[in-house]
Amino acid sequence: MSSTLLKIFFKLFRGSEKIAAARGFIEAYPVDEITQKARRGKEAVFPFGEKEEFGKALLGAPIFEQAPLRYDTLSKVLLVPPLFTPLRLKKMQEILREPVFTDVDTRVEVGGFSSSMPVCIASMGSTDVFNKVSLQVAKAAAEAGIPMGVGENVATVWGYAQRRRASQPCFKERVMTYLQHAEEGKGGVFIQQSVEDAYDELWNKVYSDPDITPYIEKGQVAFEIKLGQGAKPGIGGETFVSRDIALKIRDKYHFDDDPATVVKQVYSRHSAPGTFTADILRSMLRLMKNNYPRCRIWVKAGPYRDVEEVAQIVHEQEAEAMWIDGKEGGTGMSPVIALKDLGLPTLACLQKIKRMRERGLQLDTIVSGRIINGGDVVKSLCMGASAAGMGRPIVVAAYAAGEEGVRRFLEALKMEMQLLISALGKYSIKELGDEDLRAATPELARSLGIKSVYD
Amino acid sequence: MLKPPIQELQTYYKTIRTRRMQLILKVQATTFRGIRDYLDNNGFTELLPPIIGPVTDPGIRGAKQVTIDYYGKEYKVMSSAILYKQMAAASLNKIYFFSPNVRLEPLETATTGRHLVEFVQVDIEEANITYEDAMRTAENLVAHIISYVVDEAAPYFEELGRTLRKFKPPFKKITHKEAVELLRSKGEKVSYYTEIPWEQEEKLSRMFDEPFFIIDYPKGARGFYDMEDDSRPGILRDFDMLYPEGYGEAISGAEREYRYEKVIARMRESGEDPAKYGWYLDMLREGIPPTAGFGIGVERLTRYLCGLSAVWEARPYPKIAGVYSP
Repeated sequence: MSSTLLKIFFKLFRGSEKIAAARGFIEAYPVDEITQKARRGKEAVFPFGEKEEFGKALLGAPIFEQAPLRYDTLSKVLLVPPLFTPLRLKKMQEILREPVFTDVDTRVEVGGFSSSMPVCIASMGSTDVFNKVSLQVAKAAAEAGIPMGVGENVATVWGYAQRRRASQPCFKERVMTYLQHAEEGKGGVFIQQSVEDAYDELWNKVYSDPDITPYIEKGQVAFEIKLGQGAKPGIGGETFVSRDIALKIRDKYHFDDDPATVVKQVYSRHSAPGTFTADILRSMLRLMKNNYPRCRIWVKAGPYRDVEEVAQIVHEQEAEAMWIDGKEGGTGMSPVIALKDLGLPTLACLQKIKRMRERGLQLDTIVSGRIINGGDVVKSLCMGASAAGMGRPIVVAAYAAGEEGVRRFLEALKMEMQLLISALGKYSIKELGDEDLRAATPELARSLGIKSVYD
Repeated sequence: MLKPPIQELQTYYKTIRTRRMQLILKVQATTFRGIRDYLDNNGFTELLPPIIGPVTDPGIRGAKQVTIDYYGKEYKVMSSAILYKQMAAASLNKIYFFSPNVRLEPLETATTGRHLVEFVQVDIEEANITYEDAMRTAENLVAHIISYVVDEAAPYFEELGRTLRKFKPPFKKITHKEAVELLRSKGEKVSYYTEIPWEQEEKLSRMFDEPFFIIDYPKGARGFYDMEDDSRPGILRDFDMLYPEGYGEAISGAEREYRYEKVIARMRESGEDPAKYGWYLDMLREGIPPTAGFGIGVERLTRYLCGLSAVWEARPYPKIAGVYSP
């Protein structure tokens, strides 16, 4: 394990009882791949360590997975370029020279925002591990010009405009850091509200906040209705909080023990998943449009089996975007059994997105759930997603090298996307399609409605 | 867009002494008498209004509620006393109160000429009536107020240079859908599913030369307490009354949803956590009679009666979103 890895390991998981969890994370997640990009940026797009140099290595395609897969993932789908590339010819006619990968235009319009690439940073909530680095992430995301979410319960747990604890940024710092560093008309921040945030009327607070108002006017603020998340669809927010915080929010949450009467170090805090029917969702969206006409409205759904029905309503009510988080999605806290057994995998969510597109549904969709690199993003776009969402890679990059790490990671990510898209003979995002994909097996190809590598 | 007169607001002790303000406040006082004259003679009981409580009206467009620390618990300052109206009408049948409300409105409302952060509405509620009945009360009340002030405040109006016409109810009723169609036919972009935006409401109001009702709003445009019509899903049994001449909204009212299960479902539709409405839900679960009623904003009424361009002239010591003044 590299020294950087070790550092992250200790930062993320202080305390010896957490070592097992840390080992589990590092084994199960490509921390090294992300750390390399965070530290070395575009250089890490190539497989050379610090000491190796070009000319001294012999390399080839990786054919092994570390362990057998429980269900199909994006690694079972390949991007397959043709030799004949009429769109490259068109590009050449436009720029009067042979196109190279840097000629790929990665800009997209997604959910009412302009983004420098088809990537959004997922709404991460109040968990300590992210909140600590949240300002570094906000700055890097704003400067990169990609939309960023602010997750549920941040205001409730860490305060709206004033810090509840000196070391932890409050809600408004996260929002304002992004907005103040974003170029006008580029990117945007989407603010999530869950059932408990409704208690505090977070959206109303934001909507009438004089500091945020100018950015609302410029169209850089969206409100994201949280309908669930990949790691625990159907289960509400679960987290641990210390006693001082628990005492402040004991009226609004359900705790394992009442912090007023039972004294202990940490309390397990449960919140409700929220009750929805088609009618409830429809009315809720209308109310959002009615009450916050100057904000974009986003919806974040977990990997539910009726996600297509949900999307239909979201579209009818003219929300600007729908985010679908696959079961591999990251989480600060989820029951182990939920991680294991609940929800549709990311690839299945993409198949639903593809089917919705084919039925003619014109709705911006963002997919997330173990999207790690440029390959995952481009494959998602070929399946019909408007952008891909990332959470954990951003956290890891921030822990590896702070704000600079996030910036370098995003640069490397963009380069990977450009390389792959230009390999497909294409130079803008909207040219991508399912013709660029091949599934590893005929059965998967049939399920996804794409060709297989043998076709 | 109307720019708030910052200087006049900050030195309000001078503004209130101008002849114009004196006249407006005299008309306003006459209006109060006209309101009480009608309601007291029609069997209504005047109650004191609540100022603070565990919850207040969530059905307000984009505005923030004021929270105060109440001995370690949270209390809200009334953004409207709507939830208390049902409570009171269940006991005294026909009630009203002059209710001060505070809403921290978004900054954009500073220039609409029709929003104040602090304002008063007369809340009226009756048990065992429909929204058609409530509209009858509303139009009779408004017709009475106008007739009363035209007679009783004649010299003030003359000095203000305002000519006001009396009206005879019933007032015209159009559905929300018809209102949207009418606006769309004039090239306005309005949705069938949301409230009519302020700008378009003003335009609509200019198309009429006497007060009129917009009825049957779509669900989603209003709070959970407006009753949905059982025979027309998605349509609420509610109404607004608009003044003519571009003065816009006068009154908002509805038949109230009083059935416990329905209220719970409607709360979810409006993104509300039922847990926060403890006493209100207890009351509904134990059963209350159906009620209907409305609220009439005193400052907007004064603005219309006196023909003022903005509500900040329609009350003493006005508070405008974002402006710090006495």
